Amino acid sequence: MGAEARPARPAVRAAARVGRRGLTRRERRAAAVAYAFLTPALVLLGVFTFYPVLFGTALALFDYDVISPPRFVGLAHFRAMAEDRYFWIALGNSVKFLLVVPVLQGLSIALAVTVNKPVRGIRWFRAAYYLPVVTSMVAVGLMWRWLLEQDGVVNWLLLSIGALARPVAWLGDPDLALYAVMFVTLWKGLGFYMVIYLVGLQAISPEVEEAAVVDGATRWQVFRRVTLPLLRPSILLASTISAMAALKVFEEVYVMTGGGPMFRTYTMFYYIFDRGFQQLDMGYAAALAVVLAGAILALSAVNFRIFREGGWTYH
Amino acid sequence: MRAVVLALVLLLGVIGHGTAAPAVTLEFWTISLQPFFTDYVNGLIAAYQQANPTVRVRWVDVQFQAVEQRLLAALAGRVAPDVVNLNTEIAVRLAQRDALVDMDAAVPAEARARYFEGLWRSARVGGRTYGVPWYVTPSVTAYNAVLYERAGLDPAAPPRTEDEMIRHARQIKDRTGTYGFMPNVDGVRMLHRFQEHGLPVLSPDGKRAVFNSPAHVRYLAQYVELFKADYFPEDTLRRGYLGATERYSAGRLGMLVTGPQFLLRVKQDNPEVYAQTRVAAYPRGRGRVLHLATMVVSVPRASRHRQAAVDFALYVTNDANQLAFSRRVVVFPSTRRAAADPFFRAAGSGPEDVARRIAAADLPVARDLSVVVPHAGDLFRIFREAVESAFYGKRSPQDALDWAVRGWNERL
Repeated sequence: MGAEARPARPAVRAAARVGRRGLTRRERRAAAVAYAFLTPALVLLGVFTFYPVLFGTALALFDYDVISPPRFVGLAHFRAMAEDRYFWIALGNSVKFLLVVPVLQGLSIALAVTVNKPVRGIRWFRAAYYLPVVTSMVAVGLMWRWLLEQDGVVNWLLLSIGALARPVAWLGDPDLALYAVMFVTLWKGLGFYMVIYLVGLQAISPEVEEAAVVDGATRWQVFRRVTLPLLRPSILLASTISAMAALKVFEEVYVMTGGGPMFRTYTMFYYIFDRGFQQLDMGYAAALAVVLAGAILALSAVNFRIFREGGWTYH
Repeated sequence: MRAVVLALVLLLGVIGHGTAAPAVTLEFWTISLQPFFTDYVNGLIAAYQQANPTVRVRWVDVQFQAVEQRLLAALAGRVAPDVVNLNTEIAVRLAQRDALVDMDAAVPAEARARYFEGLWRSARVGGRTYGVPWYVTPSVTAYNAVLYERAGLDPAAPPRTEDEMIRHARQIKDRTGTYGFMPNVDGVRMLHRFQEHGLPVLSPDGKRAVFNSPAHVRYLAQYVELFKADYFPEDTLRRGYLGATERYSAGRLGMLVTGPQFLLRVKQDNPEVYAQTRVAAYPRGRGRVLHLATMVVSVPRASRHRQAAVDFALYVTNDANQLAFSRRVVVFPSTRRAAADPFFRAAGSGPEDVARRIAAADLPVARDLSVVVPHAGDLFRIFREAVESAFYGKRSPQDALDWAVRGWNERL
């Protein structure tokens, strides 16, 4: 018995070292405490996130109108989408809305670089740019709807400086409305992404940039060859969040255009809301949501691939 | 301390024995009646509880925007109210899903006969009624007398027909630069206009869409032309009656077609414009029928006390209670006897008094013109796109209506 047990001991120890990465009893206890602290958050996530996600995904396979019991229909909803004009319109608009991402990121980086200078009163500017972020989207939407009305302030300004010959219906013109809504998303998001980039910029050691300057690099070259590559982790994070938000845009549309004119601002999220809550077609709405989630996952994967190199090695 | 607790327990015991515990608790939902009508509804409930000691009524007031969502959540969570105030549109949507009690079956014939027949048929699906009609709010035309004068129009001669209204609107815009009106032609409201103009939406059997005849096309084209010539503002198509009420309240609109209850809002927002406001009848189209939004009281099938709930719904909508309600605000009762009360013909020159007399006179030709079709959401989406594409010049009115009719017929 003893002779058999003896050779096993080093093996067990080795396994413990490899399998548990050499955790001592103390470390294990620390891990247990950490998990204990995590439990409440995990339970909340489980109940309010994971369960609804699973339930919603399963719902995509059923006909459900809230009132009668769900009826299994398999993949019928997904097949119906191929023929559904408004699904394609909504998907097209949501994809178009992604245009906001590169513009927003470019402007946010520019803004972050601008406010990352030890100028007097710079904190005030940073706070001012951040203000729209903490303002409710409904208030922002209402304000911009009012500003962008045909007889609103924006037209008045543009007319008075001679930039326009006659007032433009920013939200009422089928060819402009989506861009007007995108502009508001951009305006509101700028401060949020600026903060992400500001943190990124401040994490870059000044010596690196100074070294480049000593080597004779121009300011643009420093920015292009040193700062921007080192910002990659921030760009990865911000553009992923921004792309997700763009695909999920809803409140701006709801408040400003109601999906019109001619369904030109009718986005996926708006269609999901319309089908689910206005038409009580919860099963189909869930199927739409699954497709949207798939699109977001795919897009995030692409995003990670593009920025991976600099992002991960830097970390 | 112990003695006090004991005394309290004994006291509670005595009270508990003294009054009979209510056997039935009804939950009653209304739409946006607080805070203006809190006393009225509380009085209603108190009187009912006194007459029916075994019933207790719990009142919940819900904002209009929230009522459908909350009701759905309650139905899904199996905590549905017993009696609920709905508009026709929501009632029809729920009835199509078999969520409401059939009132034709639940209400005895003699009680049904108390209501105007047209109104009793408001929330109708498959030939059955799913809501007892409560109050109705026929539209009137409010117009700004000062703008009328500035445009060279006579404030004592408001438009009587739709054609006259269009003529006045043009003249107001041409002479004052202010928009004359914001016609209710956005999205599915165009379907109501068609019917008021004597143009059918569906074939008599309800199986085919027929709104692409030359007359329909002419009707739509007339508004498309007005829109292109800038005779009504672009947000008409986006913001509907809310946008119109705001613009009118700001003194930037000549005429406003609205439910008389919105006059209160004008009064609140801008007393100056309210003082310039005159009220006239809703201009008649060629159909000799007017769209009338109806509030109904329904009982969800999920209610555990259906009989008591139906009884309470009939009580809320009886002659005396509707008359009392109409005295407080410009709404109109759905029962014949209450509507015949001399109160509705009483003199008075304030906009609300005039609106009340007009509403009374219009009631015989007013009916809820909401189009009830299967897959309503899909069909209305197609219709909205068609109408908007005509307004924005992406399709001709003929092409737009042909396209929508094809889309409807594929699904009907």
